[in-house]
Amino acid sequence: MLSEHRLHPASILFALAGSLKAFALPALLLFFSSLRSSPPTGADPGWGPGRWVNRWLPGNFELDNWQAWLLLLLIPATIGAIVHFMTFRIRYEGGELVIRSGLLFRNERHVPYARIQNLDATRTVMHRLFGVAEVRIETGGGSEPEARISVLHMTVFEEMRRRIFEGRARGGLAPATTADVPQALEVAEPPAESQTLLHLPVRELLLLGLLENRGLLLIAAAYGALWETGLQGWFWERVTSGLYAPGLLRDAARQLGEGQLPPLWQIGVMAGGFAGLLVVVRALSMLWAWAALYDFRLARVGDGLRAEYGLLTRVTITLPRARIQTVSLRESPLQRLVGRMSMQVETAGGAGRPEDGRKRPRERLAPIIRTIDVPALVRQVMPQADLGALDWTPVHPRAFGRAVKPMLLLSGVPSLVVLGLVGWQAWPPVAAVMAITVLLTRQQVRRLAWASNDDVVALRRGWLWRSVTITPVAKIQTVTATESPFDRRAAMAGVQVDTASGRELSQRLHIPYLARDTAQALFARLSAQAAQTTFRW
Amino acid sequence: MDPTFPAIADGVDHPLDPRYVPLQRLRAFIGSAVLGLASFAGMVALWVQTGRLLAGLVLVPLWLVLFSAVAWQMRRWPAIAYRHASYRVDDLGIEIRRGVYFREVTSVPRSRVQHTDVSQGPLERRFGLGTLVIHTAGTAHSEVTVAGLDHTVAGRIRDHLLPGTKGDAV
Repeated sequence: MLSEHRLHPASILFALAGSLKAFALPALLLFFSSLRSSPPTGADPGWGPGRWVNRWLPGNFELDNWQAWLLLLLIPATIGAIVHFMTFRIRYEGGELVIRSGLLFRNERHVPYARIQNLDATRTVMHRLFGVAEVRIETGGGSEPEARISVLHMTVFEEMRRRIFEGRARGGLAPATTADVPQALEVAEPPAESQTLLHLPVRELLLLGLLENRGLLLIAAAYGALWETGLQGWFWERVTSGLYAPGLLRDAARQLGEGQLPPLWQIGVMAGGFAGLLVVVRALSMLWAWAALYDFRLARVGDGLRAEYGLLTRVTITLPRARIQTVSLRESPLQRLVGRMSMQVETAGGAGRPEDGRKRPRERLAPIIRTIDVPALVRQVMPQADLGALDWTPVHPRAFGRAVKPMLLLSGVPSLVVLGLVGWQAWPPVAAVMAITVLLTRQQVRRLAWASNDDVVALRRGWLWRSVTITPVAKIQTVTATESPFDRRAAMAGVQVDTASGRELSQRLHIPYLARDTAQALFARLSAQAAQTTFRW
Repeated sequence: MDPTFPAIADGVDHPLDPRYVPLQRLRAFIGSAVLGLASFAGMVALWVQTGRLLAGLVLVPLWLVLFSAVAWQMRRWPAIAYRHASYRVDDLGIEIRRGVYFREVTSVPRSRVQHTDVSQGPLERRFGLGTLVIHTAGTAHSEVTVAGLDHTVAGRIRDHLLPGTKGDAV
């Protein structure tokens, strides 16, 4: 069956908005600088488009030539957007998604369903107004998404999702392992049932905001904006009605430096301001969590996982369960206090890569979850992994001695420098730093443990900030046993497991400080396990 | 199976091709010649800058000692590295062992090989050697190289590792 879809006409608007965004900063500059003189000087800007553009602008705007050139740059972008809309076609052809675009340079891309890692849709308020979505298709290779389709009508997106996932389930390819066969058969029967695995009520979202301090980032961004626009002085005067002038902190510091206490009211204002800031930061953070992750819902649809969240910008993530390379659980001290954890997964390809300079939180399948609910969720996300059945083995008993030496060196050298500069009276803080180093290392090494069974290999790390990383053996790419000179002296070795998702350092499965025999046995076992399973992307 | 060639997947540790040592020595010789010339020029420039004859009496012997130490180390290193490198191919994949101080053994299962290259530079061609590059879908070890193989052996390992027609998604 052949059916073609095109982009939603609103795609022209969105493409234009996109290029406007790229122009946002210059455009703002342009706006402010063109406001400068009213009434217009009437001076001839000289040869160029300025003369022509100014004829169309209201009276108190006047553009220089370079500003007019900037405006004219939008014209090719507009033409490009229209051409893109006119020529873009999506077709479904026996197990493949065919994307065709281009007028002069025709481009036809065939993406087999079986290679699609995940299918994401982002819907900002504007998208929702038009009933459309920006769709991103990711395959295994490279860091860039295979295709970014902006924008599709929601019904078209729904159809695409249905076709791709049904196509995958029907088995465009032979099932890889025997374990996959029943699953593939099971989901081949439409319609695939949807089962909610996790839903975050407002209370949990507020708790998440409280635990994760995003507020500081928001404040920093807001302050940066105020600073950039030069409004920051005005802002402080308004907000504190003159109590806080920018010089307050400086004055107080100077007085302290001269050995006097600043007046009480100043101390009061500063302490109050600080406490207020903390409260505001947390409140903002809670607000952020509520808006960004509003109505967070993780569901299992057939053999795939679907996460939907967001108040204004609604994000939908769909990824096949078989594509998950690693599952990692994290627990900060605050989270532990209230019995919560967070879980994220990584797929191969672009997932989890910083995009446009910021990190996408898209791989977080459970931003916050009750610790007691974690094993059940992990079993749903990665059926091979049974947290309760993992048999944690600590590292070598002498690992602490190994680990503490470089840490002492790391904190000892700066300490010696401080002692040399300040003199011997600086010993209490230096001693404290050394003691904390030893304590932290000791606890961390105590918590360091690994587990390996027929299906998965896992690593547990950290004392205050804890993490557990789990990879199915079917996702192991290579196994490496390492032995440094220090290892050799202590008869130890390490084992590193490489997966298609090891970009982030904290998700790498590098198991250090093993007894040499243990390392050799683990190495042999893991490579045999990896060799006996077939890797599916 | 061709009776003149023993099976490549024999599951036994093999050292690299012995011709790899003279090749690496040649490379080391070129390297130390470049290093020697550059450092000699630098040393002479320093000597001229000081403008004293006496400085040369210190600098030249110092340079001689340092350079000969480095050159000697570069000369003997290939043989040491050769003793610590080996590979083993069996039905399940390939295992590569290397490193003198920091030793590592990497195991690449056959089922994880995405594609393989055999490359041969001009120097390698003179010695009849080749470099095998194995690509996996991994991240930290997405490229595993085995240098110093006989060129035909490298080709045969490549043929052995090439993914078969088993149901592969990629």
